[in-house]
Amino acid sequence: MIRFNSLSKVWPDGTQAVSNVSLVIPRGQFCVVLGPSGAGKSTLLRAVNGLMKPTEGSVSIDGVQLTTSSERALRQRVAMIHQHFNLTNRMSVAGNVLSGLLPVVSTARALLGWFRTEHRAKACELLKGVGLSPAHLQRRAGDLSGGQQQRVGIARAFMLDPEVVLADEPVASLDPKISRDILTLVRDAARERGTTVLCSLHQIDLAREFGDRIVGMRDGQVVFDGTPAEFTDERVRALYHGAQWDDKPAQVAEITDTVYTHPAIEPVLA
Amino acid sequence: MPATGTALHWQLDAPYTARHVLIILALLVVILFTGHRTEMDKMVVMSAQAVGNLVGVVDDSQVVRGLSRVGQSMWPPVMGEKEEIARLPNLDKNNLPWFSYIEVQERIEQRLNPQTLQMEKETERLEYLVQPVGYLWTVLIKMIETFEIAIWGTLLSIIVSAPLAYYAARNYSPNGTTYTLARGTISLLRSAPELIVALFLVLAYGFGPIAGVLALGLHAAGFLGKFYAEDIENADKKPQEALEAIGAGKLKTLWYGVMPQVMPQYIAYSMYILDRNLRMATVIGLVGAGGIGQELKGRFDMFQYGHVATILLAIFIAVFLLDQFSARLRAKLI
Repeated sequence: MIRFNSLSKVWPDGTQAVSNVSLVIPRGQFCVVLGPSGAGKSTLLRAVNGLMKPTEGSVSIDGVQLTTSSERALRQRVAMIHQHFNLTNRMSVAGNVLSGLLPVVSTARALLGWFRTEHRAKACELLKGVGLSPAHLQRRAGDLSGGQQQRVGIARAFMLDPEVVLADEPVASLDPKISRDILTLVRDAARERGTTVLCSLHQIDLAREFGDRIVGMRDGQVVFDGTPAEFTDERVRALYHGAQWDDKPAQVAEITDTVYTHPAIEPVLA
Repeated sequence: MPATGTALHWQLDAPYTARHVLIILALLVVILFTGHRTEMDKMVVMSAQAVGNLVGVVDDSQVVRGLSRVGQSMWPPVMGEKEEIARLPNLDKNNLPWFSYIEVQERIEQRLNPQTLQMEKETERLEYLVQPVGYLWTVLIKMIETFEIAIWGTLLSIIVSAPLAYYAARNYSPNGTTYTLARGTISLLRSAPELIVALFLVLAYGFGPIAGVLALGLHAAGFLGKFYAEDIENADKKPQEALEAIGAGKLKTLWYGVMPQVMPQYIAYSMYILDRNLRMATVIGLVGAGGIGQELKGRFDMFQYGHVATILLAIFIAVFLLDQFSARLRAKLI
């Protein structure tokens, strides 16, 4: 269970990234965070593993509050999937997946690259689970396609059997089909293990399809919190366009010339 | 006519302004002044004379005279060795070194016979041991010794600079003090010229390769430390963030998130240092720090320019071969 207690973050330049957010995400829930760019989605996610230090309020996981002293231990229970995959490109797939174990592996073993048999077996199984074969183990991560790289990222995230997975726009740079595949992988892996997923997205259809719950953020505040069924088109518009939105009927231009005439649009920048 | 409200009183930054012209003029004055002090004007005149002499317009040129004198005394490079057998007490005539033979020369000398008070001719038989490639062999052995000094100097610099680089990388150094200390050490190491360091180390460790290895290693550690640290600082932040997010710890993050990314650059730097150390190892021998430089200085001081030519050729070939090797190694690793 993740609990945000009236969390606020003001960047040094005065930008209010998150203001007074209180949320409770029960264990095992797939919670999607939606909202326009700059709404504070990433900041909220990063508060969970301490990559972002809140100015006010706090985050706790299963009742343990995230502080400087508990951060190291808590981080091992929170995995992260990144928008740009964040793999070490010049390292092998095997190295990248195994690096998900680094917090629990002794420094000597890590530096020598000697991982236990059960760890290597687990890396293989997870790779198989995300649809990559053992033949990929020795490939360089940077040589794989975007979708394959994100699969490696998912395998790395699940190496430590995390209680929480933070997915920061995990499919923002992937095509629609691969995006669905990737999110299916994350959802299934999480359900199998009872993992809580906090996932920020930009695709509304994917959010409705995969989310058990949708949290809408705007200007650092939670403006919607409910099930996908409650997240109607009206609410989507309200979330992304706010008060500026007004519906205009489509105008059809009469075809009179070989040159396309654009329908008249009122200048926005007057 | 532009629409109202369009800002027009702006322009892209001009590539140069009046200030730039002033600065360039000031620099020109400085260059002319220092040019006279460093005898650049004389250099131009002498070089022009040399060219004129070569094409036959000018009768005499100091530069051409000097160069041709050096060239004549250096040609041909000495390859063999010839020594009087009487001076080699340990030589076993039945078991000569490889590729060598004994040459017998007869020397006729005029001598005054004390009995007859007449000048008499006397023949003296002199035996020489001739080794046609003997000096080449000596140079090769010395060159290998120089190589060894360069390799050990490079190894030492890598060992010293690796921990220094960790503490000198702003994003990995534990705190400001360690950062400043590491940076300071690196600057100190880099600022001490090898030749001077070698001079002092020869006093401390005596003549021989120890001083050479230490001098090269410490100086190069200053270079490598700086380059390594800056590469760590500039490495792709994304994998590091991913490992930091799960609490991997700094050293493990460096090993898994940074090292694979910077390895090709590190190898390139280290190969450059090896190349540089090989060239410097030939020089620091001049102050007695071992290697081919010691041989070079000895021959130079005895005006044996033929031997000097052989040594210089050997250095050139060694550097060239190393360059070829490092180019291949780099191509393989990237």
